[in-house]
Amino acid sequence: MYPTDPWGLLGLWTALLLMLMIYSYPLYKENVFYRFAEHLFIGTGLAIAVITAIQTTNKIAITPLGHGKLIYIVPILLGFAMYLLLHPDYRWVSRYPMAMLVGSAIGLGMRGVLIPFILTQVIDTITAPVGGNAMAWFNFVFIAIGTFCSVMYFLLTIEHKGAIKYPTRLGRWFIMLGLGAYFGNTVLFRMSMLAGRAQFFLQVLKIIPM
Amino acid sequence: MIVEFFFDIPALASTADMLRTWVIIISTMALALGAVNIMRVHWKYIKRREPGHWTYSICLITVFAVLTILGLINLKNPMVNPVYKWMFENVYTSLGQTLYAITGFYIFSAAYRAFRARNSDAAILLIAGCLVLLTNAPIGEVIWGQIPVIGTWVLEIGETPAMRTFLMTAAFGLLAYGFRTLIGKERGFYGEVAGGE
Amino acid sequence: MSEGIWNRMQRIDRRVLYWILFVGLMIPFIRPIGLPIAIKSSTRDLYEELRQVEEGEVAVLSISSGVSAWAECLPSMVACMKVLVQQNAKIIGWTTFIDGPLTWDKIVSLVPGLEEYTYGEDYVWFGYFAGAETGVAQLASDIRSVFTADYYGTPIDELQIMKDVNDVHDIKLVLSSDTGDACDYYIRQWHTPYGTPVAEVGIAMQGSAYMPHYRAGILFGMSVGVRGGAEMEKLINEPGNATVSMDAINISHIMLVIVVVLSNVGYIMTRGKR
Repeated sequence: MYPTDPWGLLGLWTALLLMLMIYSYPLYKENVFYRFAEHLFIGTGLAIAVITAIQTTNKIAITPLGHGKLIYIVPILLGFAMYLLLHPDYRWVSRYPMAMLVGSAIGLGMRGVLIPFILTQVIDTITAPVGGNAMAWFNFVFIAIGTFCSVMYFLLTIEHKGAIKYPTRLGRWFIMLGLGAYFGNTVLFRMSMLAGRAQFFLQVLKIIPM
Repeated sequence: MIVEFFFDIPALASTADMLRTWVIIISTMALALGAVNIMRVHWKYIKRREPGHWTYSICLITVFAVLTILGLINLKNPMVNPVYKWMFENVYTSLGQTLYAITGFYIFSAAYRAFRARNSDAAILLIAGCLVLLTNAPIGEVIWGQIPVIGTWVLEIGETPAMRTFLMTAAFGLLAYGFRTLIGKERGFYGEVAGGE
Repeated sequence: MSEGIWNRMQRIDRRVLYWILFVGLMIPFIRPIGLPIAIKSSTRDLYEELRQVEEGEVAVLSISSGVSAWAECLPSMVACMKVLVQQNAKIIGWTTFIDGPLTWDKIVSLVPGLEEYTYGEDYVWFGYFAGAETGVAQLASDIRSVFTADYYGTPIDELQIMKDVNDVHDIKLVLSSDTGDACDYYIRQWHTPYGTPVAEVGIAMQGSAYMPHYRAGILFGMSVGVRGGAEMEKLINEPGNATVSMDAINISHIMLVIVVVLSNVGYIMTRGKR
């Protein structure tokens, strides 16, 4: 709904003005307004990040610590140790919390990736359709050969000649097909966001209803 | 984390729980690390009166300071503050959506300038891309009724070998990189230069 | 056309292209076309599965997309919420993005059925959590270790909806709206160890990235991009913003195909003559 209160109207027109300031860069050239809007976004985004960090830390660490869970002093100290990354002399202290973050992510990633990313994918590739029609069988053969050749293309430690020259070439074509489809979806993504901005422009100017 | 997944030992599970909670707390506190670093950089610009930078840096730091103070005043729910809420809803949202959408322009000009069928590989990519474009847009069916049929096939079957390959190779890469990290061979995330300490 | 024109077209100022695109995108909003939208099988599967959710079962909406991706992700999220509300499901929301609360507020404002829902009993918003995959893994193990209170500060034990909800076993399904790899986290930490059904409700590129998972039966459905949002709106018979935006998508995509064709024709015409 189009706002009627003064603050709502001010907000709407400010949003439009900022949008036009940003678009002055691609549609005209780099200018003061674009740089100003860019820095405004960075400042606002960072403030929101800091407030979210403090608010969430208060909820999940400080409050339990205040309720007697003294062990939480350890992650709080490690969290502060992360900021020593910015000081050259004490940067080594930040490696401990960093190691915890990386170790946790790697451990969780490694344990979780085996079944859905490798085993299930291989099983689905080699599982023939049961009682399927000709198209189902064609799709199965297409995916099986395509996956096999595409994976072969990524054998980068041996030269692609001789027996593997043509399968890797075929694999490259399958990869191009996949990347072309990915590009098509990327265009949809980018254009829909730009369309959203065009719609917003028309709505603020009351050319179309909000 | 790995051992906890494969062995059902209660002591191990509770230790993993505790460690994960700690990691979440460290990650939360580290959210502001980027902000601190950027403030340092822009403060240097202001001190040095860096041409082309320092006036914008004043704007950045001022907005950051004002918004942070307003947020800290109502820490339990910062959106209660009308100025904070207004800035979040009108400034941040609009700028975020606009900056993200600017890539739509670039993809359009890139398609005109760079998307050329110079060889068979590029031709396949181009044809697949155009088919998917015309499938995602309902107008493809108006141009030729079979475009959505072929395009849907490309989306559901045609791209599967490539995407599956990326998944599996990325998974193997993660396993290899993870193993190397666990045995101490990979130390890039510590911020070291290759060949250094 | 003479060779001179092709050469000139190859060197056209890109700002001309930007203006053509920006103006072209506005025209269908002023003069809608309204072409019918076919439903993809992945979207239909998502819809059918949401219709199987029974009254009182708990669904999680994990928002891992920011305000920047509202045009892409919001219509699908809104449509899914509408279905869940129609099924009288309980809904838990959380986010890995700092601007997730804005997205949640927007969704709540666009789902009229939530007015009959009681906050704290039928739905709850927990807000932001950090840690990415670690946070998602810990939520599976114990929600209370990640969230001690909801976004508004109400202690978790005072929330009626959380009375019997402690971990992944109490959750019926997860809808992950993401612009990156947040759905991977739920696949690896929720679906693989515990079998929790997961669906992707994100940007269009996720349709390509997660197609192998959908085909392998890991994801029970996908509604990706504004196209997925328009399909969901058609399925629930409530045309909304995504349906309106599809006209602009038609124009932009046709324009892009035309420029690709023109650029390739120009390239062929000028190639041998350099």
